[in-house]
Amino acid sequence: MRKLEYTLRRLLLSLGVLIGMTIVTFVLTRVVPSNPAALYLGQRARPEQIEAITQELGLDDPLPVQYIRYMNDLLHGDLGDSLATKRPVTKEILSRIPATAELLVTAIVIAISVGIPLGVFSAQLHGKPADVGVRTVSIIGVSIPQFWLGLILQLVFGLWVGLFPIAGRVDSTLRFSSPIEDITGLFVLDTFITGNWIAFKDVSLHLILPAITLAAYPIGLIARMTRATMIEVLGQNYIRTAEAYGIARRMIVYVYALKNAIIPTLTVIGLTFAYSLTGAFYVEIIFNWPGLGLFTARSFLNLDFPAIMGITLFGATGYIIINLLIDLLQAYLDPRVSLD
Amino acid sequence: MKSKVMLIIVLALLLALVGTSAAQSTTVLRVASTAGVTTWDPALSFSTEALYMANIYETLVRVNAPGADSEISPVLATDWSSSEDGLTWTFNLREGVLFHDGAPLTADAVKRSIDRAKAISGASFIWLPLESIDVVDDLTVQFNLSYPAPLPLILGSTYAAWIVSPTALDAVDADETYFEAGVAAGTGPYMLADYTPDAEVVLAQHPDYWGGWSDGQFENILISIVADAVTQEQLLRGGEVDLALRMPPSSYQSFVDDEAYNVATETTLFNYVGFLNVLRAPLDNQAFRQALSYSVPYEDMIAVAVEGLGTQARGPVPDGVFPFSEDVPQYSFDPDVAQRLLEESGVDPSTVTLRMTYAAENTIEESMAPLLKDAWEETLGITVEVEAILFGQQWQEAKADPAAAQDIFLLLYWPTYSDAGSDNLLSMFRSSEAPFFNLSYWANETFDTLVDDAIVISGTDPDAAQAMYTEAMTLLVEDAPGLFFMDVGTWYAVPTYLDGFAYNLNYPFSIDFYAITLAQ
Repeated sequence: MRKLEYTLRRLLLSLGVLIGMTIVTFVLTRVVPSNPAALYLGQRARPEQIEAITQELGLDDPLPVQYIRYMNDLLHGDLGDSLATKRPVTKEILSRIPATAELLVTAIVIAISVGIPLGVFSAQLHGKPADVGVRTVSIIGVSIPQFWLGLILQLVFGLWVGLFPIAGRVDSTLRFSSPIEDITGLFVLDTFITGNWIAFKDVSLHLILPAITLAAYPIGLIARMTRATMIEVLGQNYIRTAEAYGIARRMIVYVYALKNAIIPTLTVIGLTFAYSLTGAFYVEIIFNWPGLGLFTARSFLNLDFPAIMGITLFGATGYIIINLLIDLLQAYLDPRVSLD
Repeated sequence: MKSKVMLIIVLALLLALVGTSAAQSTTVLRVASTAGVTTWDPALSFSTEALYMANIYETLVRVNAPGADSEISPVLATDWSSSEDGLTWTFNLREGVLFHDGAPLTADAVKRSIDRAKAISGASFIWLPLESIDVVDDLTVQFNLSYPAPLPLILGSTYAAWIVSPTALDAVDADETYFEAGVAAGTGPYMLADYTPDAEVVLAQHPDYWGGWSDGQFENILISIVADAVTQEQLLRGGEVDLALRMPPSSYQSFVDDEAYNVATETTLFNYVGFLNVLRAPLDNQAFRQALSYSVPYEDMIAVAVEGLGTQARGPVPDGVFPFSEDVPQYSFDPDVAQRLLEESGVDPSTVTLRMTYAAENTIEESMAPLLKDAWEETLGITVEVEAILFGQQWQEAKADPAAAQDIFLLLYWPTYSDAGSDNLLSMFRSSEAPFFNLSYWANETFDTLVDDAIVISGTDPDAAQAMYTEAMTLLVEDAPGLFFMDVGTWYAVPTYLDGFAYNLNYPFSIDFYAITLAQ
């Protein structure tokens, strides 16, 4: 019951945060010296056309009136039309979510599968050369610019070695030989479900380089956090007691110690997941990955206000939900965490 | 042991996954391009979607690249004639042409298409001389003009001149967003088969194309929209695309040295200018403006910003299009003359701070700006502040309050159709009460009169019009309300397994995919 109350209270607070966020974003996008009507029509529109579209879009109304109209539309699920693509922003965002989700989930799975074992390994060899090695790798992972890493991976594994495709989500020519049946929008899953193995191979290959690029930062972060908490946990009395009882080292480390050490890492994973959404901007541009990041970058470059508003709202909602889920998960895993 | 088995399985799976792309065939031509789609409405189209429009739709005639046997080629029209006064033009249409939806080409479709473009297009100004269109019979159409403009050049425009199926015109009359779902209905060699916004455009052969099909031509054209030039280059080199339409200028030489590619350099109608805001001191001073013009490092700019692929401009009309003239004077980088003019101007350079803006998304302007700043500060002793802002913001600032706007505005410009007199000169430097692209706010009655008069006679007496334009451009360059930097070139690296690739500077955003074939 307490968890339900807590969840409801957090959701209510989140609503306030979201409304505040819409006001800030709306004002910011409107004070930038630019004319949305001119942007809507393209660089070489004539003055009379700009005038007509200004009236049609209500851009000559006072800012509060425009904001109320926007919020009213928002409550009806309408985020407006993109100035660049002329399509509804809701549709644009929804159509790009699967591509980004596929990339993001793969990157996080890679980050967790590599980061946690690295952290545990490093903690066990605390102070030894292997630990220094892991810490160095972590620092490189955290500090290396993603766009640079992406280009290097493309160059080495795409162009020189020829192991992986250089860019894109799928070899587009497959539409003529092995078309992908769109079921979930997640190509790896769709091709697996339908047994389209040629396409499955192709989309999996396309996923590897961008996912590794996106995973580099979380790998470093997760490894460092896991290492730090594991060192702390491994020094505690109950671990020594377990060792005294002769319980296998692997059991102590991966079951007794890791379960307690993982809790702070979970928060990091949650935040990293949200952070990776912004990291996806660079990765999607470099790898021409047709997801939200590419759409966001183009929307900012085009000053596409409705799209910027929609994406910000979407990103903030995602961030709030992920944080909430992580908090609830922490409370579930650690009874000492209070939800009051 | 168990983990080793797992490792072997994972490695085996990875190896099984690895492979290379399919061999080249005529099934599909894979292209990487930056060309996004602003609209699928052929009348509204006024941007980079011209790449697709030019393969889906056709115009009555086509303007050929310089050096061709004739200036104009017939497309949907087979022949044409004009009255002696140049006010009435009659075009005979090609028989047996079918739109993608099966409707036949008729004079009525031509009239409706152009009437609609004239009414709603962003490029509707090209139809300024058009008074009315008469349908003479099913395959004959007559254009009535208010002054004798060079009509074939207008009809061959890359914007606002596409001929559209009457069925689609009916549909768009009922629903103005009809085309935006990714619908197209022209007579061109390729049909729009699929479109994923910001990602991919697929074109498929129009089986009933009037030009017919032969071996080696491609059945499908698959265009991936790739914003990044470096990624495009990697895709081409990695064999993942057959053509990359925008690659970094710095990669030019490495492709020249690679035998797998045929590399061609081309002149374009892209012209870089800098507007000097003549409403603001000291830019209201002609001698000071000339001093600025004499301190532009033209050669360095071409070498650095476009890797040598360009030539110094002669005014705002690029080389290769009417009414370009070799007789229009040019400034040169001459610090001594610049210093003398600065003294003549009476301006104290230590008190001058000029703010220059350029489009942040334009990498060529990004390279030009620091060169200009250094040259002006070193040569004239003034201070120059450089600011990169998005083009839309830059333009908005310039138009909002001219007297408070930036001092110098860098701009990339190109003519909408193959007559830069009635576009570049008119749009950029003719005075008007509400300046649209005249962002130096320069007003000169003699220039206005010369341009206005030249436009009216350019269809019937192009030589006299050329003389007037040359006089107007000479006056413009001497008064220096703008800085005339360069006409830029472009280059393409085409794999040797492709034939027929050609660039026509009159259609700067388009590539004719119909002409491209797989080499035998």
